[in-house]
Order: sequence, then structure tokens, then C-alpha cells
Amino acid sequence: MSDTTKDKGAAAIARRPESRIEQVWHMIVEGLAAVGTVLIGVLMVIICADIIARNTMGASLPLISEAGALLVVMIVALQLAATIRANRLARTEFFIVPFTTRNPRAGALLSAIFDLVAMLMLGLIAWGTLRVLEKDYNAAEFIGIVGIATLPTWPARVLILIGFTVAAAEFLVRIISAIRRALGGQT
Amino acid sequence: MSPVEIGTMAIGALVLLIYLGMPIGIGMLSVSFAATTLIRNDTVALRMMSQVANDSLEEYLFAVVPLFVLMGLLVTISGVGRDTFDVFQRLLRRVTAGLGIATVFANAIFASITGISIASATVFSRVAVPEMTRHGYTKKFATGVVAGSSVLGMLIPPSLLMIVYAVLAEQSVGRMFLAGVGPGILLSLLFAATILILARTHSDFVFDSTVDTESHPDITLLDVARKAAPIGALMGVVLGGLYGGFLNPTEAGAAGAFGALVIAIMRRSLDRKTFWNLLVETGQITVSVLFLILAATFFSRMLALSGVPRELAEFFLSGSIGTFGFLLLYLLLIIALGCLIDSISIMLIMLPIALPIAISADFDLIWFGVLTVVAVEMGLLTPPFGLSVYTIKSAMDDPDLKVGDIFRGALPFVGAMLVALIIIAAFPGIATWLARL
Repeated sequence: MSDTTKDKGAAAIARRPESRIEQVWHMIVEGLAAVGTVLIGVLMVIICADIIARNTMGASLPLISEAGALLVVMIVALQLAATIRANRLARTEFFIVPFTTRNPRAGALLSAIFDLVAMLMLGLIAWGTLRVLEKDYNAAEFIGIVGIATLPTWPARVLILIGFTVAAAEFLVRIISAIRRALGGQT
Repeated sequence: MSPVEIGTMAIGALVLLIYLGMPIGIGMLSVSFAATTLIRNDTVALRMMSQVANDSLEEYLFAVVPLFVLMGLLVTISGVGRDTFDVFQRLLRRVTAGLGIATVFANAIFASITGISIASATVFSRVAVPEMTRHGYTKKFATGVVAGSSVLGMLIPPSLLMIVYAVLAEQSVGRMFLAGVGPGILLSLLFAATILILARTHSDFVFDSTVDTESHPDITLLDVARKAAPIGALMGVVLGGLYGGFLNPTEAGAAGAFGALVIAIMRRSLDRKTFWNLLVETGQITVSVLFLILAATFFSRMLALSGVPRELAEFFLSGSIGTFGFLLLYLLLIIALGCLIDSISIMLIMLPIALPIAISADFDLIWFGVLTVVAVEMGLLTPPFGLSVYTIKSAMDDPDLKVGDIFRGALPFVGAMLVALIIIAAFPGIATWLARL
């Protein structure tokens, strides 16, 4: 959908060789996303296992629905940064794309402003999650049924925190490259 | 400023930001954060936002999104769509414009194993369009039929849009799925009728040459059975499991994805790299959908805090506009928005505002949901932002094919959808009968 922006991003990367820091950063983002990708497979497998268990042994496996719910949040948190990087967040393009073609610098500036807002929002969520995490950890919040099977919720909160923090940082990376374009001109 | 004024301004600001090209989810988060800060204070806003981020997606039900998306992508590459088309082509080869009608019904069947319209559009633009052009149909019509019938993917269960609606309106996903069956059949029949009428009255729109000398591939009834088996099995697992009460929607998604995986492996259409790419794609679609849901949850809580929906409900229901005036206005607004924004975003922006009104108007929320989905889907076919049309354009990879031609080809089907919308609005039973059984 956003081929134009993607091509531009690719062109920018091709023109300027990636620095060491950028390479490491991409590895972090893609690595987190790969974990999230594997979790999709895990999700499918545990739910299928639950179906089989219920229909052959007559009893559901414990924790499946709770774990499934947590897995969904983890998948989203882990893959958020990579999705942002791939320009896959839904947006309209009938103003910004022609506008950027006509005024590359102003367009880059507008993108930088949007990314700044996005970074602030995701950063605030990460900041707020810190408090949720602290509360969950102190209260030893768990999912499941006592005596059968329980899982603490705080490790999932840590992943959410990491996911949103990395996603906010990904927006920071985009802001820097957009400002470079705005200052450097002719893209 | 009063909370209602703040809420109204937030909606206006959101529309402006979306128009300028801010990612829609970010737009909803930021205006909701700003508005909540103005109505209460920044501590409340921060707490609400992080609460939403942590809690709103923690639902077993949402696991259904990646699972059905994965299933849709798997059947897209495994050639199940082509087989379905072959079967209907064989069955309808003596009918006028039979290939067009075959495309519609193959889509309807394919829709019952996939929940995303782009899957249908991709598959059938590669399978049905070359076959139709070979038999003398115009490209405009061939691509138009594929675009039009791809909307069945989101109406006939399983359906991503139905899931999103069910979540927002707090309806059961299973019931929403059932509610899509009747309207899906109605729409398929209307599409088939549209094709027949076009072939009779505007044959130059449909055919390049009226004499069809090309042979049909000769497949025996045994082939038909063999080709119909995989899709039949998948339908059995997903729909049978769902309606037989063996599986809840999430489990139906998992079983369906697993079944599709088995079929893809058995047909050797899946190597390790393709499978990984499909999983990555699944992840990105899932994230973009669920992130929007997260943002929309915050948006709707902010609106509830501002009291805007309550004021709007009062305005519509006690004023001269009335309940049906509201419904008409709502559907027209959705169709108009469909020209600009993608389907799921429209639902997530409109429903937090419109649902409270629909509830005070005592609408049947299942019926309201089906109307919403059909209206939203018209946007897949209308310029300038018709997602199905662009999917076909990129799947076809044919420089001679103009986007404008596909839009013109799809126009009769937009008309058919409008007729379907009116029929469903007039006879709610088409949607609700099966769901309330």
C-alpha cells in the first residue's frame, strides 16, 4: 500500500551505508519480530492441542485461554516496531504522498512531526506500563486457577514494556532520518 | 470548554490528522490523550492509555485474528482457490456469461474458508481473469467481477470485519458469523443476476467478441470431486466445528489454519522460506489490526467520558431526524468514508460514535452490524481508495490494465451491493434469522 514511502526509505538506505549502530538496531527490531512470528505458530499449536485434548481425553488443557490471551498481547508488542519499520500502520495517502512529491522537505518535516507524536504516545504507554508492571509484580498477579496451574503475569508485562519502548525508539530512528531528509533536501 | 465541546473537537482533529496522513492508530491515541487531559487531567489520561494498552488486547478472542489471517494466506498459495473456480467453471459452462457467475460462486465458497477480502482478490485475479479474457470477456468486466465478488470474503464467515464488529459491539462472534450467511447468499445471487442482466443488455461491456470459440478445459466429474475435496474438508472443519458447537471461533481459526497448513504441505506449495514469509505477513496484518483496535478502545473510552455519543443520540432520536434518518445518514457517511479510508479503520472510527446511538435507538445490533459491514465493504470498490481494486491491479501485473477500468468494471457490483443493503435494511430477518435461531 505504501510502496512510494517504502521505495524512498530503501533509496535513502542505499545512498548512505548503514552505520554499525543502525545495523545492531535493525537486528534488535527484527529479532523481536521473529520471536513474535514464532509465537503465532505456538498459538496455533497450543489451541489445536487443546481441541485434541478435549475431544479425546474429555478435559481441556489448563491455562490455554489465559495463555492465548497473553500471547496475543505479546505478539502485538513484539512485532509493533517491525510493523512500523515496514510502513504497515494504516494511514491515508491522498494528501501526504503528493505533498511530499511536490515539497520533499516540507513533506519530510510533516512526517517527522507525525513520528514525534507517535514516539510520545508509545513512550507514554511504555512509561505507564512500568507502573502496571510494578503493581503486578508486587501484588504477585497471576492467571489460571490456584492449585491447578498458574502463571505470573509480570513477565508478559515486561515484554509489553520492551515492545512499546522499542517501538517508540523506532519512531525516534524515523524522526532522525526524516530530519536528515528535510535538511539534506533533494530526495 | 465543556466535555462535549472537547469531545467534538477531538473528532474534528482526528479527521484532519487522518486526512493529512498520520497513522490512524496514532491519531486516535493522540487526540484521545489530549482530550482526556483537557476533560480530566494528564495523570488520568496517562493511566487510561496505559491501561488500555495492557488490558484491551488481552482477550482470548483476539487470537482469532492471526489464526484466520494465517489460514487465508495459506489457502491463497495452496491453489485451493483455483480448484474451486475449476469446479464452478465445469458446472456452469452452458450458462450465459457462465464464467462470470462461476467467479461469483467460487468466491462465495472460497469466502467460507477465508476471512480477508485481499486473499480472494489476489487468488481470483490470477485464476479467473486470464480464463475470462481467453474466452472473450472484456478485461474491464473480468476484473470488475473479481473485485465485486471479493467483498464476499468479508461477509461470508469467517470474516475479519465481523470479528472487529463483534468485539466493539460486544456481540458474540459466532452469532455475527451466522448473521453473515444469509446476506452473503443474497449478495451472491444479486451479483449473478447483475452479470446476467449485463450480458443481455450491455453485451459490449461484458464481451469483446460474442463468439466464444475457445474450448473449456475438459475435466471429468472425478476431477471435480477431487478438486472439491480440500475446500470441502476445510469448510467442514471451520463452519461445521463452529456451528456444530464443537469449536469456539478461536479454535475454529486454529483448526482451520492447521488444516490449510496440512493441505499446503501435501500439495508441496510450501517451502520453509515461503512459510516463514507467510507468518511474518500474518504478524504484520495482525499488528496493524490489533493496534487499531487498541487505539479505538481508548478513543471510545474518551468519547464516553466526553458525553458526545449521549448528546448525539439525544439529537438524532428526539429531533426530527428520527431513528431511520440516523441509520440512513450513518450508512451514507460510511459509504462516503469508504472512498477515503480502509474498511477496518472506518469501523473503528465510526462505531465508538454510532454504537451508543444505535443502542438507544433499540436497533438489533446484529442487524446493525451486517448493515455496517456491507456499507463498509462498498468502500473496497469505490475510488480513489478501493483496496480490492488496487490488490487486483498489483496481483495482475499487467501494464495495459488501468485502475480506472477496474473501477468502472466494479461499478455495477457496487450498485448490486446498494440494492442488497436496502433489502437487508427492509428485511432484517435475512441477517438475524439464522443468528437468533
